[in-house]
Amino acid sequence: MNENIYIPKLAKIIKIKEEVSGSRPIKTFRTQFIEKNSFSHQCGQCAMLSVLGKGESMISISSSPLEKDFLQFSILKMGRVTSALHETEVGETIGIRGPYGNNFPIENWKGKNLIFIGGGIGLAPIWSVLHTALKKKEDYGKLTLIYGARTSKDLVFKEELEKLNKKMNVHLSVDVEEKDWKEYVGFVPQNVTDKKPSPDNSISITCGPPIMIKFVIKALEELGFKDGQIYTTVENKMKCGIGKCGRCNIGKHYICKDGPVYSWAELKTLPQEY
Amino acid sequence: MEKILTKKSFPAWVKKLQSYTVYSPEKQENLWSYEVIQNPDKLNLEHLNTVLAPKKITYPQREIFLQFNTSKEGKPQIKEVLPEEHPAVIFGVRPCDAKAITLTDKVFGEEPKDPYYWSRRNQTILVGLTCNPPPSPNCFCLSVGGSPHSKEGLDILMTDMGDKYHIDSLTKKGEKLIKAAENLFKPASSKDKKELEKIQRESEKKIKREVKDIKNIPDKLKDMFESPFWDEEAMSCIRCGICTYLCPTCFCFDITDELTSTLPLKGKRVRTWDTCQFPDFTMHSSGHNPRPDKASRLRQRMLHKFQYHVENYQDYLCTGCGRCISLCPMGIDIIEILNKVREHE
Amino acid sequence: MVNLEEIKKEAKKILEEGKVKYIIGYAKSSKALMAAPAFVKKPEDIDKLIWDPTCFQNLVKFLLDEKRKKAREKEPDTRPVGIFVKGCDSRAINVLLQEKFITREDVYIMGLSCEDLGVLDEKKIFKKLKGEKPEKIEFDQRKNIVISTKEKTIKIPLKEILAERCLECTSSFPVISDVFWGDRNNRSPKEPFKSLEQIESLSQEEKWDFWQQQLSKCIRCYACRSVCPMCYCDECVVDSINLAITADTTAEEKAQKIKWIEKSPESSENFGYHLVRAMHLAGRCIDCSECERVCPVDIPIRFLNKKLEKVAKELFDYKAGLDPEQPSLVSSFKDEDPEDFIR
Repeated sequence: MNENIYIPKLAKIIKIKEEVSGSRPIKTFRTQFIEKNSFSHQCGQCAMLSVLGKGESMISISSSPLEKDFLQFSILKMGRVTSALHETEVGETIGIRGPYGNNFPIENWKGKNLIFIGGGIGLAPIWSVLHTALKKKEDYGKLTLIYGARTSKDLVFKEELEKLNKKMNVHLSVDVEEKDWKEYVGFVPQNVTDKKPSPDNSISITCGPPIMIKFVIKALEELGFKDGQIYTTVENKMKCGIGKCGRCNIGKHYICKDGPVYSWAELKTLPQEY
Repeated sequence: MEKILTKKSFPAWVKKLQSYTVYSPEKQENLWSYEVIQNPDKLNLEHLNTVLAPKKITYPQREIFLQFNTSKEGKPQIKEVLPEEHPAVIFGVRPCDAKAITLTDKVFGEEPKDPYYWSRRNQTILVGLTCNPPPSPNCFCLSVGGSPHSKEGLDILMTDMGDKYHIDSLTKKGEKLIKAAENLFKPASSKDKKELEKIQRESEKKIKREVKDIKNIPDKLKDMFESPFWDEEAMSCIRCGICTYLCPTCFCFDITDELTSTLPLKGKRVRTWDTCQFPDFTMHSSGHNPRPDKASRLRQRMLHKFQYHVENYQDYLCTGCGRCISLCPMGIDIIEILNKVREHE
Repeated sequence: MVNLEEIKKEAKKILEEGKVKYIIGYAKSSKALMAAPAFVKKPEDIDKLIWDPTCFQNLVKFLLDEKRKKAREKEPDTRPVGIFVKGCDSRAINVLLQEKFITREDVYIMGLSCEDLGVLDEKKIFKKLKGEKPEKIEFDQRKNIVISTKEKTIKIPLKEILAERCLECTSSFPVISDVFWGDRNNRSPKEPFKSLEQIESLSQEEKWDFWQQQLSKCIRCYACRSVCPMCYCDECVVDSINLAITADTTAEEKAQKIKWIEKSPESSENFGYHLVRAMHLAGRCIDCSECERVCPVDIPIRFLNKKLEKVAKELFDYKAGLDPEQPSLVSSFKDEDPEDFIR
């Protein structure tokens, strides 16, 4: 490949949706490359988004690979680059390079029940798998989503979640009691224990704050899920995205290259340094 | 191809290499450093270890990746900035530094290849010098699979034989250099070759420091991740970047945008060396830091060099040059740490 | 005279009594000319402590790590840390006390006087050894250092290889301590700022060229900053990220942190870093000259700090680190302060 892997491709922002407002805002961006290219990704992969002059940030691609018209990213405003992204408007140009990382081995999950468990912004990385599975529903077993956030205002993809109810089992939750909230009240791991997904012929994919992942894995193990049936994503500070700058490693793995998708069986073997 | 070049003819050879930028060790005040030769007659290959390894020529501390600005129509545009044409020859490369370059070659050569590194690397010819005596009191190349007369990574290996040099041409690039002044060289006689072997044997005996049984260390380190050993060893670390910036094998880098102006947009994206020893190396934007203390960062450095890199590339990420030992302000000694790891329960 | 055995006895005693958490002292390192910091927790380990002119590190730096560690613990051990200090080092403790960075109860100061000597300068010795490795060193009473290399043994008068700062030292004994060993010799070098003459005598252009050449060598390893006890800011002007951010720091605050100095080792950035650091140390630097000692590319950083020390003395009659109660130079004024620069 003669392409220079450090040069981002320019893309236009075609749509911005404010998912969550307040002190920890989340916006969803849809982008289209200015020049046609061969960018194609798989579920779970990420891309480096550039705001020229500010820097780059590695964001997971939340649109399905089957979606050819745009790439979708959901971004939590956290620091310099993400703040700059939040200040962009439709029509502005950003840089994208990628796709980076490994992917959810969705081919191996054909015929299995898929249980998606997300917390807060963590729904974004698994959104791509969820929609790919939905589009090919006949290939997979029962599809379930267990998703929660601090308050109902912090849930992402709220409009799509309402439509999702008709196509698969959706169990939502918020951390504390709220007026007009009819569904489960409690943390996501507690909701998992409450809804008792069966481990038979199932794969569970979980993503969210590290502490939520820790307790979700525990809850799943108590329900009888084996290590190889639990998948998650790991994040680390990244700069090059291709396993060369030495920054994002956990043990001998570079998360930008050998991750971010890991089964719990594999993640257990790495040093617990993340 | 083995040849002999008298020391008197050495400057004449260098003078024939005008199409290259020729680097050689130069003494600046009290320190040796690889610099462009100003006067070939004043060439001196009796140097001690340079502070910065020749990696500063193949992999400089700062390089520009791309430039960005706003076009006439007000749209942002990006321009790739590849390194300029720069055929270079570096004389006096120690075998440990050359081996280090082969290690970084593997990392930057793995797909996807790093175009900036390779455009410099492909244009650089490395002319080595057998270490006799060792250039640093802390050399330990023999312990990590190297040697004072190793040919790894070199295009030519020179050996000092008193009033002449033995020249061993190892690659096509090396042969090209010799052809530039062919008449200055004589073929090496069998007496010369015997003398060479004697010097090589002697040079190995002069390496004083060693890490015994290094083969067992990667496995030992696997079990020591959670050990309080690292807290003890890291107590005297002051978290500067000396050990990693001077290390010929270290390659970690940072990518930053340097803004010249916001309206109109103008700036560059640059790569600079970075070090795992700085506290903000792994710090997330959220403030979470997987390596918040010196112990975890020292552990990362040791494990990266002697376990992770071995697992990924079957090579220690250390060539025994001893710079980190000589220049650590607080006397942290990598050989002592490895020996303690070996003894650790 | 400082008796090593008495030092060890006291060290053992306070460890056995549990009076201190641990002691920061000096021990032998793998390099003959340099001692290494030692952290002694158990009384039986005190035999590794040494005291001689190879003990040139400023151990006060490690009080910073101690403070950080305590901040992370839920129930920190509030006992003091024992620390060996020389004259210059003790003034660093005074500055930290003055700035309320540590409290007096945090440290048990064990003062060692250099008396009429000082510490050695490795770089001066290497010049004399011409590349040979010092295998063993001995101090011949207090007059000479005897260095054995593989080839030979040479004897050098200590005065010839003492650190520059020791030649300009005005008080070679700790100005604050809980226990003390040695004599309190007051030294009054005739010209305390003599080393600056070689730079001050240059013209403006020559000075610029000098610093341009020296600072172009800088590789921004930040060893000078890392070794300085007074450089304790979590939000340093040269870092791209504020090290003191927490989960509650807003994205705006993080996004608004200005990048004053780029990471690139370009001339403009190197100048910015070194000059800003020197300004931030005005009235605080106590001339332990560790910054110059640790620099791997031999930049004469001490000149920058020493010049500001001279300005502080000449204009404001201020010397850093003599008294923990004295106000800081840049945040106080006296009526007698010069006003001729006010137009």
